[in-house]
Amino acid sequence: MKKFLTTAFLFTLAAVAFAQGAPAAATKSLFEGQFTAHIALAIAAAGCGLAQGKAVVAACEGVARNPQAAGNIRTTMIIGLALIEALVIYVLVAAFAIK
Amino acid sequence: MEHHASLLAQWLTQVLHLSQHPWPGFAHGAALSILERYDHLLNAALAALVTMLFTALVRKNLSRIPGPLQQMFEGVVEWLKGMINDNIAHHGEKYLPFIGTMALFVFFNNLFGLLPGLSPGTSNWNVTLGAALVVFGYYNFHGMKEQGFLKYWAHFAGPIWWLSILMFPLEILGLLSRILSHSLRLFGNIAGEHVVAGIFFGLMPILLPVPMMFLGLFFGLIQTFVFTMLATIYLSGAVSHEH
Repeated sequence: MKKFLTTAFLFTLAAVAFAQGAPAAATKSLFEGQFTAHIALAIAAAGCGLAQGKAVVAACEGVARNPQAAGNIRTTMIIGLALIEALVIYVLVAAFAIK
Repeated sequence: MEHHASLLAQWLTQVLHLSQHPWPGFAHGAALSILERYDHLLNAALAALVTMLFTALVRKNLSRIPGPLQQMFEGVVEWLKGMINDNIAHHGEKYLPFIGTMALFVFFNNLFGLLPGLSPGTSNWNVTLGAALVVFGYYNFHGMKEQGFLKYWAHFAGPIWWLSILMFPLEILGLLSRILSHSLRLFGNIAGEHVVAGIFFGLMPILLPVPMMFLGLFFGLIQTFVFTMLATIYLSGAVSHEH
């Protein structure tokens, strides 16, 4: 609970800082524009980190059990990582698109 | 996104005395010459030129006792050959020239991010979209050539005839979205890496960008690998006969 409250407090602080940093955007909602892009990118990166971690763990276990198959596992892992990463890249492109 | 023309484009603008004028709806009306506006095309053309020059040089000096350059290219060709043979079942080596050219073009484009004065052509979506469209056209053409027009498109309808009305639009949508994912992946990675390197350079121009540049070298290689690998997989999916 304490952790949650700390996070919530920091979040509010960040929101206030963002609002102060952009006086021109006073008419806009806080969740319009760059702020949304940054938060979306952070969420996407967190999910991607978890997923890629799981993928690499599985690949490492595979190689440790059967070092002979290292080449094939590496290729498959890199393709899988690229496909996972693509989702974050979509968010990044969307973040670029938001002015 | 802000527009930063590469130093090469700015230098050429000055040397060639190109006129600078604002472009409607681009870079907030900054005055740019045609080379600065289409900076990515300049860099992509340069990458294509470098690819052609390198390969022509190797081709001209082919010898039984390979020099360092030939040895490097032999390694690249061997690796591409192995990858194509792993993925495409029969006589896949006739696709080697296309796949290899694509790989070298994308690789040189990615590496341009590390050279001062140049920017990677692949950090603009137009270039990667072009590359992805060429790959798309290539594998569809060869799929139709290998399997026959009707058989190739019938393979999108799935095995059960009464489900095909549902399957066919979905499969076509999936086919078209491949262009998007194939191009956006390359563009996003290279552009993101370039932007981060630029921010690091802005923080401290000495020493701090070096690890980022090493990462750029690594990512450039990985993204080339992924782009080439996916092109090969798409091609193998299109040309392989279903048994």
